[in-house]
Amino acid sequence: MAKFDVVGHSVRRPDAYDKVTGGRGFPVNVTLPGMLHARMLRSPYAHARIRSINASAAEKLAGVKAVLTPGDVPQKKFSPLFFMPTESNELIRDLVLLSENIRYAGQPVAAVAASTPDIAEAALDLIDVDYEELTAVFDPEEAMQPGAPRISPTAANNIARTPTLSRGDLEAGFREADEIFEGTYCTQRVHTCYMEPRVCVVDSDMQGNLTVYASVQHIFGLREKLAYVLSRPESGIKVVKSPYIGGGFGSKLDLVYIEPLAALLSLKTRRPVRMEHTRYEDFITNARHPMKVYLKTGVKKDGTFTARYAKTIVDTGAYATHGPEVIMVHAVFSFFSAYRCPHQKWDGVVVYTNNMLGGAFRGYGAPQGCWAVESQIDEICHGLKMDPLEFRLKNAHHEGDAHPFLKQFTLASYRLADCINQGAERIGWKNRSRTPSGAGTKRRGIGVACHPLWVSGCVGLPDIYEHSGAIVKLNRDGTADLATATIDMGTGQNTTLCQIAAEELGIAAESVRMSYADTDTVPFDAPSHASRVTYSAGNAVKAAAGEARRRLLQVAGEMLEADAADLEVRKGIVQVKGSPDVNLTVAEVVSRAESPLVQMTAAGPKVTTIKEKGSIIGVSSMAPPGNPSPCAAEFVEVEVDTETGAVKVLRVVYAHDIGRVINPAAAQGQVEGGVQQGIGYALMEHLQFDPGTGACVTGDFLDYKMPTAVEMPAEIESIFIESDEPTGPFGAKGLSEVCLTIPAPAIANAIFNAVGVRVRDLPITPEKILAGLGKL
Amino acid sequence: MALPKLREFITPADAQGVLNALRNYQDRALIVAGGTFLHGLESRGLLTHVEALIDIQRLGLDYLESGKDGLKLGATALFADLETMPEIRNDPWLGAIKDALVFPPVQVKNAATIGGSVAASCPFFDVPISFMCLDGVVKCRGSSGMRDIPMQEFFTGLFANAMENGEFMVELAIPRPRTRSASAFMKVETNANDLAILNAAVRIDVDESGTCSDARVIAGGGVGETPIRLSDAEQVLVRQRLTPEICARAGLSAKGSVNPISDHRASAAYRSEMTRVMVNRALRQALDRLRQ
Ligand SMILES: Cc1cc2nc3c(=O)[nH]c(=O)nc-3n(C[C@H](O)[C@H](O)[C@H](O)COP(=O)(O)OP(=O)(O)OC[C@H]3O[C@@H](n4cnc5c(N)ncnc54)[C@H](O)[C@@H]3O)c2cc1C
Repeated sequence: MAKFDVVGHSVRRPDAYDKVTGGRGFPVNVTLPGMLHARMLRSPYAHARIRSINASAAEKLAGVKAVLTPGDVPQKKFSPLFFMPTESNELIRDLVLLSENIRYAGQPVAAVAASTPDIAEAALDLIDVDYEELTAVFDPEEAMQPGAPRISPTAANNIARTPTLSRGDLEAGFREADEIFEGTYCTQRVHTCYMEPRVCVVDSDMQGNLTVYASVQHIFGLREKLAYVLSRPESGIKVVKSPYIGGGFGSKLDLVYIEPLAALLSLKTRRPVRMEHTRYEDFITNARHPMKVYLKTGVKKDGTFTARYAKTIVDTGAYATHGPEVIMVHAVFSFFSAYRCPHQKWDGVVVYTNNMLGGAFRGYGAPQGCWAVESQIDEICHGLKMDPLEFRLKNAHHEGDAHPFLKQFTLASYRLADCINQGAERIGWKNRSRTPSGAGTKRRGIGVACHPLWVSGCVGLPDIYEHSGAIVKLNRDGTADLATATIDMGTGQNTTLCQIAAEELGIAAESVRMSYADTDTVPFDAPSHASRVTYSAGNAVKAAAGEARRRLLQVAGEMLEADAADLEVRKGIVQVKGSPDVNLTVAEVVSRAESPLVQMTAAGPKVTTIKEKGSIIGVSSMAPPGNPSPCAAEFVEVEVDTETGAVKVLRVVYAHDIGRVINPAAAQGQVEGGVQQGIGYALMEHLQFDPGTGACVTGDFLDYKMPTAVEMPAEIESIFIESDEPTGPFGAKGLSEVCLTIPAPAIANAIFNAVGVRVRDLPITPEKILAGLGKL
Repeated sequence: MALPKLREFITPADAQGVLNALRNYQDRALIVAGGTFLHGLESRGLLTHVEALIDIQRLGLDYLESGKDGLKLGATALFADLETMPEIRNDPWLGAIKDALVFPPVQVKNAATIGGSVAASCPFFDVPISFMCLDGVVKCRGSSGMRDIPMQEFFTGLFANAMENGEFMVELAIPRPRTRSASAFMKVETNANDLAILNAAVRIDVDESGTCSDARVIAGGGVGETPIRLSDAEQVLVRQRLTPEICARAGLSAKGSVNPISDHRASAAYRSEMTRVMVNRALRQALDRLRQ
């Protein structure tokens, strides 16, 4: 008999058809009667001061209902991150809703609400802005030089933060080393390319209460930031959870300009106001931070690390936003705590530039760090003539070790070695040739990279929200409604969480439905990010379902005149353990609980017991019990065209330890999506800007290249090593980020294996390979 | 805003209706065929002056004919239909068209027209240069009747061509070669939905003795504001018995005669080198086709 009835099965997503047909659940499809449409005017200059702004002609245009310029909006400085308390000391509050100081090309300077989008757009042309243009600086290292244009009035040399981490004695470690390797590894700015644009509809009532519909990954975060920016009480803002959003990948973890501007426009006009980004606006709203990582690593001849030093320069863009936070996650989880090493040091620099803002993007700093660390390990192994798998196993953490950073936890489930060994087996690692193979102009190679340490949420990290909550309510037809603030951004969490509830309740997966939620009605929840939902929200859902089940069994106990402790519920039937004939359906129990106290029968009135009465409901609101680390090893085979430099990824084997797999098809989908984003990061994706003006030149999918189905490998094999995480819901950990952090180094290492060319700056374009081959 | 000055969407039933509309609106009119390129133009702010759109799909120009003189391809015939013509699929001399039609996405092939792909005058397109290497002739119609413009003289600049105001394209004619002939097309792109970083189309004609009697070498995609014919490379081929070595020499010559642009998609140096590689590869492919 299977251990679980629901968990571990590839339950179909109930909303799949809706979603692929552009269903009404997407916030982009929300419309309200009398709704206005708003657009933003953006600065053409990357660095400027507004001398004056005159919107009177725009205000006079027929159909224009309201215009906002810097003078009309609060000048309160804020940080837009949803997942941290607004006043956190970790954050730098330097964004202003509409400011007279322009720090990047495309920064909004005004907003117009009109009866149609076209009128709003036309009105933008009528706003007269007089700019004083200032010298801009786009390169973070130039920005740090004395005499560089000053971007932030408070940051000397444009340096926002300089965090460090250190352990042991670095110099002693380098003295112990037999060899020392150095290298600098760079990454580019990339966008998440979610399908649904940033969009919101904000309505206001006569008391000034706001109701907000938006495509975001966190309804409570949006409520908190909106309240802060607008200086309004949180209780006066209701953010409605949409049934699903069209992707997020981290990009929807911030307040952006549209939500507070739409709110102000709605308050001003007393009408609902809708704002939607164009794709170009999405591209310039936030992006994965470019980082430059210098590594110096000491190793023994046998491959043991003796000392590791890293320095990271983060281009945080025009405002600090994620810079101070992303650099820490980057440092801890992709460098400092990734492998065992006694002597380590890391220096970070967060630099302002006149570039667009950085944002969250699946992996939050880890892809940049893994790129450096996992590429360099390959170089070290080449230098030492050592097998890269053996090297990693030698320096890896072990199951049962204390967590290398979050000292209150242990690595209770941790199967990196199995990931490495099983992946190696499937790709045929032992047949991998050390020298390039292939015929004609094509060469093939195999590469590997690991992601040793990651998170299932943020417990233990300072100032990051973590708790989750859920309401599970049973219905008289034997089904259950699940309400949580958790947003399904495409990962299938609606289904996975329903499976967890169903397993715990003892009913079929199809019998649990994800129901309505908004910030007024359900417990607080942290965002859908940080590989946390299955683990953290899953634990909360399991707890709420457990409470509902206890109540169900109590009522059933009354009905069967049995002790609740002797009852069990499986597949929708409550029965006495060991006597399956004494049973009731869940529907019968719930119906009884909600029936009148006195029931009229053929034999006259029958009094049931008070103890049975009341809806069967369970509520939870809790912090998750731990922060277990998923881990992964990825193997890729590539083919390189030595005449064009083109790289084709032929095959991917991706082995993960994510604890128990709740929904195998959904997990596999995550991995395949991660591989797609990882290949894009490795080979082609790159937000580029005009070097003179700072304007984005890759603002649509003609110029911004991401892999299509044609560029995807014919074969992606997902291996799940099912460890049993003791703190996880049914043994589960997180998945969604480790599956995209390492394709880039794995591909780079495979390219090196194929043609002997080492590229250290992303993306690995054909040109860089040809240059490496001496052909350009 | 999409087309801020748009006043009329006209769907004439015959050529005269198109001519009338073109005369009324002059350079403020835009012809629409499949419409696949309009978004690209609009989102770059290139259609803000347009007051009238003229849909030419009711004119019956969607024919594809093959005769002894060659092919007559109606201006509104679709890529998807062209692709299924038996001659395109099988004949070595039309190999370049077959190769070029591999690249546009299915959705685009189901809407894009032959006339639209040529008249768009975008140097990064693939299909037009396959017509160019086959000495295609644009037949256009104006108020004073029909006029022929050889493809090699058609493109005059970025989004600019030799058609006059008031004229529109009705057909592309491709002459049947008088000797054995094969053509091929190659493209460098970043993903399957990309404008060419570089593309090349070639044709080789050989006489009975197997000597190359004529050749065309065309490069596009970032080599300039228009696709260009590389006569020096052609001269390397003509009067030679074609071998892989000759193809390689023609490739080198092609590289020497282009002066490509650098942009966010590729550097000039890369495009130059790709001219060599693609011309060489296309010639080798055409050579293989000749031997079939
Ligand atoms: C996503 C995408 C991918 C693509 N990939 C490729 C590719 O891989 N290879 C490739 O070669 N091309 C590719 N293209 C370009 C495509 O081939 C052209 O967009 C298409 O051929 C244009 O034809 P249409 O009928 O849609 O023209 P329209 O968009 O209707 O018109 C294009 C232009 O031509 C003018 N025009 C159209 N017909 C006439 C006429 N008869 N007389 C005068 N002027 C006319 C119009 O006024 C307009 O300026 C791609 C396009 C898209 C959108």
